Amino acid sequence: MANHFQCTACGKCCYGQLPLTCKDAFANAERFPLCLVWTPLRYGSKDYPLVATLGTTIKLADRKELAVLIVPTAYLPSSFPCPALGEDNLCRIHINKPSRCKTMPFYPYREERYQAELLTPRPGWACDTSTAAPLVFQDKKIVFRDDFDHERRDLLAQVPLLRRYAEYMLKYSPSLVSSLIQAASKVKAGHVVTSLSSFLTATKNAEASHIAQLQLPILNTYVEQTAGDPQLTDFHKNYVNWSKEMAYLSQRRQ
Amino acid sequence: MTVCPCGSKRDFDECCGPIIDGAPAPTAEALMRSRYTAFVKRTLDHVERTHAPEVRDDFNRAEAERLAEECEWHGLEIRSATETGDTAEVDFVVRFRREQQDITKATLSRFRRDNGQWLYVSSDFNPYLPPQRVTKVGRNDPCPCNSGKKAKKCCGTTTELK
Repeated sequence: MANHFQCTACGKCCYGQLPLTCKDAFANAERFPLCLVWTPLRYGSKDYPLVATLGTTIKLADRKELAVLIVPTAYLPSSFPCPALGEDNLCRIHINKPSRCKTMPFYPYREERYQAELLTPRPGWACDTSTAAPLVFQDKKIVFRDDFDHERRDLLAQVPLLRRYAEYMLKYSPSLVSSLIQAASKVKAGHVVTSLSSFLTATKNAEASHIAQLQLPILNTYVEQTAGDPQLTDFHKNYVNWSKEMAYLSQRRQ
Repeated sequence: MTVCPCGSKRDFDECCGPIIDGAPAPTAEALMRSRYTAFVKRTLDHVERTHAPEVRDDFNRAEAERLAEECEWHGLEIRSATETGDTAEVDFVVRFRREQQDITKATLSRFRRDNGQWLYVSSDFNPYLPPQRVTKVGRNDPCPCNSGKKAKKCCGTTTELK
C-alpha cells in the first residue's frame, strides 16, 4: 500500500486549534492565545499505548484507567484562521513555523504504522493525493520523515514537564478527573481546557511574567473578536478569564 | 466599626484586619478566617505569605486574583477546628456566587506552626462525600473478611454487602 500526497497551499488546515510542542508554544507566545488541552482516551483504543507514553495515565475506580494527552495549544475557534495565515493563503512564518505545521499531514501523536488514514483530505481541503503527487507513505513507513521524527522527539522530551503539570492539576483541581471521565465518554473525543497560568505556576516557569506580557495583547484581540457571538461564548469566556490572569502576571515581579 | 467578613461578628480591625497586616495569627482558625477575609478584601499577599514554604510556589496567584474579583462572597462557616501541638485541621464551608450560580464549598484544611507562625499546608475538598462503597465482591477480589484469600477460596463466590 502506497500513499501520495502534495500540499496545494489551500490554507484549509490553517484554521482552528493548533496543537503545539512546549517549545513552539513559548516561541510563539506573542502570536497565539495559549492554553492546555487535555484529551482523554479510553483503555482499548489503538492509540492508547502511545498516548500513555506521550501524556499521562490516570487511575480511576474499579481498576480502570484513562490515558490523557496534555497539549499546549493555540486556542482558536474552528472558524478562525491562524493569525500567521497571510491574505495570499500562505504562511507568514513559513521558515520558522511550528513543528505541527511542518509535519502535516502526518501526526506523531499517533503510531507511524497508522499514519495512512491521516492522508485522506478532510471535506473541503484541496490536498493532492493523486499518483501524480509524491509518494509519502509506503509499507507503513513515512518516506520523508525528518519533520515527523523531530516533532516526536520534542514530544518525548517534554513528557516529564507535562507529567509534573498533570500531578499538580490533579492535586489542586481534583474535579478535573470527573471532567475527563465525562469527556472520555463522548463518542467524538471530548476535551478539557486548562489555563496557561496554571501551567506556568506548576512548572515554576522563570519567564512567566515575560510570557504573560506577550499573551496579554493577543488574548485581548480575541476577546474582542469573539464578543457577542453566541456560538463562541466558551471561547470568549476563556479569553476574558485568561486575559485577567495574564494582566496580573505581566506586572508581577519575579 | 466594620463587621469582619469572616463571620466572627467582631470588628474587622480587631479580627482579621491585623492578621492580614502581618500580625501573627493566634490560632490556626484565626489564620483560616483571615485568609478567607483576604479573598473578600482582595489582599492576596496575605494568602500567599501564609502558605507553607513547600507549597508557596504552587499558589496560582493570577487565578486567585481573578477568582477574588469574580466571586461575590457570601460567608464562611467554621465547622470545627482542632489543634494538636503545632499542627491543626480546620473544617469549614465557604459560600459564594460566581457566574450567576450560588456555590457552597466544603473544605478540610491543614495547618502547621513554624516558629510561632501558623501556615497553610493542604486541603481536601468535599470531605463529606461518602466514600465509595463496594457492593459486590468479585470471585478473584480479596475476601471482605480480611483473610487475605481470594473471595472464591474463602467466604464464597459473590457476596452482596450491605
